[in-house]
Amino acid sequence: MDWERLRIPLMLGPTLLVITVLFFGSLAFGLVQSLGFQPQIGNTTLTLDAYISVMFTGREAGQFWSGLLLTLWVAGASTFLSAALAVGLALLLRRTFFGKKLSVFLFQLNLPIPHLVIAIGMLLLFSQSGLLARFAGELGLISGPRDFPILTRDRYGIGIILAYVWKETAFFGIIVMAILQSLGDDYEAVAQSLGANRWQRFRTVTLPLIMPGLMSASIIVFAFTFGSFEVPRILGVQHPQMLPVLTLDFFLNPDLNARAEGMASSIIIALIVLALVFLYMYVSARTIRRD
Amino acid sequence: MTHLAIRGLSKVYAAQAAPAVDDLDLDIESGSLTALLGPSGCGKTTTMKMIAGLLKPTTGDILFDERSILSIPPERRGAVMVFQNHLLFPYMSIAQNVGYGLKMRRMERAEIDRQVAEMLELVRLPGMEDRRPKELSGGQQQRVALARALVVRPKILLLDEPLSNLDAHLRFEMRDLIRDIQQQMGITTVFVTHDQEEAVVLADKIALIFDGRLQQYDKPLAFYEQPSSRRIAAFFGGVNFFTGTQDGDGFTSTIGRFSVTRDGPADGGILTIRPEDVRLSEDGETNTVSGTIDSQVYVGTHARLRVTVDDHTVNVVADADVMKRYGQGDRITLQFPENKLWILPAE
Repeated sequence: MDWERLRIPLMLGPTLLVITVLFFGSLAFGLVQSLGFQPQIGNTTLTLDAYISVMFTGREAGQFWSGLLLTLWVAGASTFLSAALAVGLALLLRRTFFGKKLSVFLFQLNLPIPHLVIAIGMLLLFSQSGLLARFAGELGLISGPRDFPILTRDRYGIGIILAYVWKETAFFGIIVMAILQSLGDDYEAVAQSLGANRWQRFRTVTLPLIMPGLMSASIIVFAFTFGSFEVPRILGVQHPQMLPVLTLDFFLNPDLNARAEGMASSIIIALIVLALVFLYMYVSARTIRRD
Repeated sequence: MTHLAIRGLSKVYAAQAAPAVDDLDLDIESGSLTALLGPSGCGKTTTMKMIAGLLKPTTGDILFDERSILSIPPERRGAVMVFQNHLLFPYMSIAQNVGYGLKMRRMERAEIDRQVAEMLELVRLPGMEDRRPKELSGGQQQRVALARALVVRPKILLLDEPLSNLDAHLRFEMRDLIRDIQQQMGITTVFVTHDQEEAVVLADKIALIFDGRLQQYDKPLAFYEQPSSRRIAAFFGGVNFFTGTQDGDGFTSTIGRFSVTRDGPADGGILTIRPEDVRLSEDGETNTVSGTIDSQVYVGTHARLRVTVDDHTVNVVADADVMKRYGQGDRITLQFPENKLWILPAE
């Protein structure tokens, strides 16, 4: 027996075992539950009833589709806006100026702050009874709370998007700043010396060079915002609800039969995110092959 | 063809007390190839970046054909820089890389394709249009970078250590290519190097910079025959320096008195001769000294000798045959030809 060949698999074994049991185990458990397998209440046959109920026939079927649209919109918009904002800020922060260290510190300040705190902060700041509304009232800009625009608990998820942008811009920023630092200024200097103006340099040099890192970060942020429930629970409305909140409601339902629908909803969220990740990996692999 | 003038140029970086470039004056003739030579950190790349507009001078002026270009942004200045590490855009094909500057000028696609093909032909890379940078060797990448700069017909071409990332045989090839293309196109070219041999072989004139200050601006031969300081002579391989005083046509040094035909500075205090100019003496010659051979090393085409004369060392480069006639510890007489002796300022 060639033990040398087995050495690395054996060393990786314990870690792989933990990952397999925790990840694939819980995924498999969730999957069978979504197929109605709940022996504790006597359901042992596997059916697609929960999926059909969640998407088509159940009381919440309408909520599911509007929730899916809202979730895609919120995750997409938050990811795009955070990425765009982070790129702009990172490019500004790359320059040398008085107070740069303080600016970088403030830019990254909210990284360790939990999403929950950010969501509550949003409420305190931007709701119709929040600080900004009161300030506007004190200045005489509005006559009462109702005159202040609805920025939280709105049906378009504006408050949720703002909270995610607030939080994720710092995450994107760290990645973009690290990429920009490793690239240096030389590529842009070459382009500038060859006649490219500021916008041409950004479009033809900076953006293509940071794009691989930016796309990877976008997948992480999109997957997170697509599956996260704390912020939409606090800043969202009852209808439409984002999918993770709808899923949470299924789980919190005292009727144990709703558990299968909750699991079905979770699996759908996971499948959508996985599909997008695979799509990204396929596109990146093609780009890498081409480059 | 553009005449480049640099007037009192200085650059002080915020974090440094000493200026990176200090009161630099240069006149670079149109169509010439000039080397900015000096050790690492002497300010030569900083000077080049200021010409390109990538750095702002602290004081001074840069003029193209007698017109200041400091207020012109780098993208419209017409000074194109080729960097040491090629910096081809990795996500573009070779054709896209070479045609980049033309595309930024919104030139028509067909014309770009035509000029790109012509330029790739010029740098001896025909038919490489569809390749990606990573598919090319270092030498080929450097040639693409050169083509990318040349295709926009720059007023001034700036080459930052263009040969330093190449191995020996590619260096020779690239050196010839740069020289040929520069003469063919007649573009005023400035290149930065820390390699004096490279500067001597390529440049029409060399600007030698130490610690941000211009030391000597001259034709290559002058740095060997008439260096203006001991430091410059040493940078160009000078190793024989003997202190003393000048008296009329002669110079009395620590190893003897020698006749000198070439005029040196009024405050001359150091006599120098290049090792390859020292001759083994025949009987009856003047300007001779005798000493003992300390060491002799065969270096292929010639031999290097260290001869001790009155406790001072004289370094000699001689024909390899000398090793058949002399051994370590033998007495030897050396002759310093009058026209090869040069007097440097006292330190």
